[in-house]
Amino acid sequence: MSDDGTGTPLSRRAFLGTAALGTVVVGGAAAGGIRLASAGRGDGESVESPEPVAPRGFRGLHQIGVLERPRPHGLIVAFDSVAADRPALQNTFRALSEELDSLLSGRVPPETPSALPPPDSGVLEEVTEPGLMATVSVGASLFDDRYGLADRKPRELTTMPFLANDRLDPARSHGDVLLALQGKEPDVCVHALRRVIRRTQSGLVVKWMQDTFTRPDAVPKVGQTQSRNLLGFKDGTANPDAGDEALMNTLVWTSTGDAAPTAAAHEPDWAVGGTYQVVRIIRMLVERWDRASLDEQEEIFGRHKVSGAPLSGRRETDIPDYAKDPEGKVIPLTSHIRLANPRDERTVDKVLVRRGMSYTRGVDSAGRLDQGLAFVSYQRRLSHFLEAQERLKGEPLEEYLRPEGGGFFFVLPGVVEVDDWLGRSLLKA
Amino acid sequence: MRRSLSLVALAAVLGLLAACSSDDGGTVRSDGGSSSGSDAGSGSDADSGSGLSGSDLGTDSPHPVATSNDPTVIRAANNYKTWLQSQVAALRTDAKKFTDAVRAGNVAEAKKQYAPSRYRWETIEPISVLVPGVDRAVDSRVDDFSSVDDPKWTGWHKLEYLLWIKNTTSGGAALADKLDKDLGTLQTKMKSLEIAPKAVARGAGELIEEVSDGKINGEEDRYSHTDLSDFDANQVGSKQAYSFLEPIVRTKNKALATAIDQGFAAVEGSLEPYEVTEGVFKPFTSLTPADKATMQSQLAVLSENLAKVPAVIGVS
Repeated sequence: MSDDGTGTPLSRRAFLGTAALGTVVVGGAAAGGIRLASAGRGDGESVESPEPVAPRGFRGLHQIGVLERPRPHGLIVAFDSVAADRPALQNTFRALSEELDSLLSGRVPPETPSALPPPDSGVLEEVTEPGLMATVSVGASLFDDRYGLADRKPRELTTMPFLANDRLDPARSHGDVLLALQGKEPDVCVHALRRVIRRTQSGLVVKWMQDTFTRPDAVPKVGQTQSRNLLGFKDGTANPDAGDEALMNTLVWTSTGDAAPTAAAHEPDWAVGGTYQVVRIIRMLVERWDRASLDEQEEIFGRHKVSGAPLSGRRETDIPDYAKDPEGKVIPLTSHIRLANPRDERTVDKVLVRRGMSYTRGVDSAGRLDQGLAFVSYQRRLSHFLEAQERLKGEPLEEYLRPEGGGFFFVLPGVVEVDDWLGRSLLKA
Repeated sequence: MRRSLSLVALAAVLGLLAACSSDDGGTVRSDGGSSSGSDAGSGSDADSGSGLSGSDLGTDSPHPVATSNDPTVIRAANNYKTWLQSQVAALRTDAKKFTDAVRAGNVAEAKKQYAPSRYRWETIEPISVLVPGVDRAVDSRVDDFSSVDDPKWTGWHKLEYLLWIKNTTSGGAALADKLDKDLGTLQTKMKSLEIAPKAVARGAGELIEEVSDGKINGEEDRYSHTDLSDFDANQVGSKQAYSFLEPIVRTKNKALATAIDQGFAAVEGSLEPYEVTEGVFKPFTSLTPADKATMQSQLAVLSENLAKVPAVIGVS
């Protein structure tokens, strides 16, 4: 399989980095407005989407790891910046970019004499297709008074507040910089992290991290998924088509229009090509969930557990028609899917791209399994997430969830030019 | 230098300065940002502050690395050994002030003497552990035993436990006697200890790793919270060991020598605000998360550079 492009020769991949971007457009998805059906096609037929955004290396208009097909293993790492000043911070980001470029290109550091510590851990020796992806984002705290960046903060970026039901642990929340790594195997992420830390340790210190896993679809299809969360339900069925460039420009990426002085968003210029990233480490009280009846579980979600079909349908690809069920007799008004995505005119252009993965971290002090969902969503406006969160407040599912960490971040725009680096436009003098 | 532990070091350094230093243009990995904001050649684009794309330290040095037969290296090791012995002698005196207070049943005085009594131990620890059994007898933590009541648990930390958790010297006299005796053994054995040049170079690095392992998280002195005193001692001991090698490093790889100098200065600078009076430090619990993060970073960078020293002076 060359689905992640890691087997492609270097030079070609470097070239693809920019050239392949934006070439994937699903036939029929008009570049203009969005139709309601685009957030899950209404004809009951799943449409095969090509690999969302072609395989590529480090360079591109947008960073890798947001829209690409998820890898089975992930590592979310939040850092504190200890860089003394803006120039030091620039050096840190430049070093980070170089290291990620090297890692994503599969380059190994030049050999050194054996009397010296080897520059690479060797963990991936002889691995030819690591399938690495790496996404760098920044938190609101980077825009405090340390680096004089206050007036460059993305307009909606804040420190994640306690939302409904939250019990955020400061030791597992927020951070100046977030690195989201994905790979075919867990050691791919570990290897990359070790190199990154070694390279950037004069500027970045790990604050918290969470390793994650999922079972990505072998062939991504719109309106369908085989990925399940640890509650046993499919997660991502209603995800919009990540291969639909026009749609992604509406739902995910900050545009030049957003940065226009007249725009409602009025994002800073540097942010164009980036996106808001929400990370929520959501503990699932799985023992309790396993003792809930199937009926209750399905009513809580609004879908059939096994098939993933909405309670109003038979197939996963069936689109719930809430207009026909105004009182929630079939799909309860408080069900998760109905609150999260009401599929109405108000929310059609606010659908989130979700890239959640599961995690497990042993048992808690009470002997209960400590596991859950590392919810990750990307959206052009943070308010899109907050509005959905507001609708979900008090949903019956809350009883089985306890958000314990994460944060709000802004994914830096990608870099295209050879001598460019992540964050340059943000950090320039 | 924060504190001159001995003049021996200075003399040794002067003696070593015979070799003319030259700039070999070797690259130093100074990572992303400059931890102290001092040099870093900031402002320019291109590659300032990052060295991975180029060759690593020592790889492109036009100078052949020194061999362990190098007389300057051997002299450095001998000078270090002389310094070590002076430290152990002073350590015994320091420790006795502590053990005397324990034996006298003076809890307050014993608490006051606890951190100073082990300061010099922490400056020479990587060498001391070469004497079998001593480290376990004098400096093991409760983690190495099944419980605090394990009679095999002896040394400073057991006494620390009694003083701070039990607020007593009761049961401490025998432990105090044993501590004195074990340190006496250390002093005796140290005289015949073979100090290879490699041990000096590695020791400097290990002391900084020690800080990263157990001091920066407050685990070492968990009852008294005097970890920052140990931290300082480790750092001073590392710098002292390195100082014997510094002229050789500077000759072989000036950039590395400069980076290490800056590394020590950065760590010292971070620790400075926590020193109340000479040799007395604020409790570990007063360390702010931001300062801790900065120190973690500085220690990691310094460790990374010290790890290259054995290869550069040819003793790895």
